[in-house]
Amino acid sequence: MAAPLELSCWGGGWGLPSVHSESLVVMAYAKFSGAPLKVNVIDKTWRGSRGDVPILTTEDNIVSQPAKILNFLRKQKYNADYELSAKQGADTLAYIALIEEKLLPAVLHTFWVESDNYFSVTKPWFASRIPFPLSLILPGRISKGALNRILLTRGEPPLYHLREVEAQIYRDAKECLNLLSNRLGTSQFFFGDTPSTLDAYVFGFLAPLYKVRFPKVQLQEHLKQLSNLCRFCDDILNSYFRLSLGDG
Amino acid sequence: MQLLLLCRQGKKEKMERKAFLQMCNLPIKVVCRANAEYMSPSGKVPFIHVGNQVVSELGPIVQFVKAKGHSLSDGLDEVQKAEMKAYMELVNNMLLTAELYLQWCDEATVGEITHARYGSPYPWPLNHILAYQKQWEVKRKMKAIGWGNKTLDQVLEDVDQCCQALSQRLGTQPYFFNKQPTELDALVFGHLYTILTTQLTNDELSEKVKNYSNLLAFCRRIEQHYFEDRGKGSSSIKSS
Repeated sequence: MAAPLELSCWGGGWGLPSVHSESLVVMAYAKFSGAPLKVNVIDKTWRGSRGDVPILTTEDNIVSQPAKILNFLRKQKYNADYELSAKQGADTLAYIALIEEKLLPAVLHTFWVESDNYFSVTKPWFASRIPFPLSLILPGRISKGALNRILLTRGEPPLYHLREVEAQIYRDAKECLNLLSNRLGTSQFFFGDTPSTLDAYVFGFLAPLYKVRFPKVQLQEHLKQLSNLCRFCDDILNSYFRLSLGDG
Repeated sequence: MQLLLLCRQGKKEKMERKAFLQMCNLPIKVVCRANAEYMSPSGKVPFIHVGNQVVSELGPIVQFVKAKGHSLSDGLDEVQKAEMKAYMELVNNMLLTAELYLQWCDEATVGEITHARYGSPYPWPLNHILAYQKQWEVKRKMKAIGWGNKTLDQVLEDVDQCCQALSQRLGTQPYFFNKQPTELDALVFGHLYTILTTQLTNDELSEKVKNYSNLLAFCRRIEQHYFEDRGKGSSSIKSS
């Protein structure tokens, strides 16, 4: 019998079990692979390091970062990719790289850098789940980290000005969404009839973008036009998360 | 059109750009300049100089060449194009970052090779200053994307995973999208060739690639077909 698996992660809202992409990826994977996870939503009283969330704790292990957590779950025999061929496994890695390089910067920007969004939605939401006085400091730190990441990875010459970097990352994100939509087509999941790691990643990154109500919504508007991706997110929410959405 | 490919003296040419241009059957002339990095619009070498236009980086070069009527991926359908872009990101994400890590974050390699090579066109003390500055920049970037705490073993494991994915995708085909080479083939060739032929303090990185015989054969095939046939190519892939 596997030791009890506990996942500490950011909570939900707007119909989602979590608003944090990485936490959502792990939660979705656990549902797909049948891993019995006890989910501990972080609130003001939680004492751990919020920078590392999501964190999986078992009797003798503490694992952070979605890729490592998923690897750990697979080693415990909770494998959602069992039926995939070698080529499909390779495709999974490639599409995850695509999402991390092309979509993630714009998602980070929408949540943490775009000032209207950050000050009216993101910051209050996260600050209310962090104890004082950390609530005054941590959101700002995460926001600076996000901007830093965007500028260091995408803000190279000739894109000197933040405006130009922003324009480029949103262009890339829209293209990435189009590519994902083309790849999904009319299938229910990315590889056949059962969901796998790639579905968990796509769901984790798309669902918050789809559901959270922001003032500045250019990427969200683009996503809403790709009806198969919206249907994909709604299907997963309805099939795998409906029962646990009591305290969103 | 006369295409000039400018690269930095003493630095390995980025093979993927050269490979791509040769796959398109474009006549190129390679020129080495110490200040190539500063001539480049993006600070990245090598870059191409055609008439009065200057273009750097594989992405924009591909677009530029396409606008002039040459493209390698026109025959692909939408799903295949998506796959190609995804695999290109995988290569950039894993292989390129691992190469940078090995060159600039592995102390042994930095001390013995990279530092000297990077600073070689410049007089003292500029050679040291520029090399340290570059190292600092690279380390900062690694930290931002979460590679700051990775050990060499973890990086090598990532490279192995990436090569395994590429090997599985390539299978027994001559190119990634069967009969015709695409930008992905140029990119993969460029990186694997660099890994296989660059001298580093340890051979672990090239050993990882050599584990996959179809990738080795792929590199050899492209080298023979596009480079040796035209009388070019200095160092060649060691067969083992």
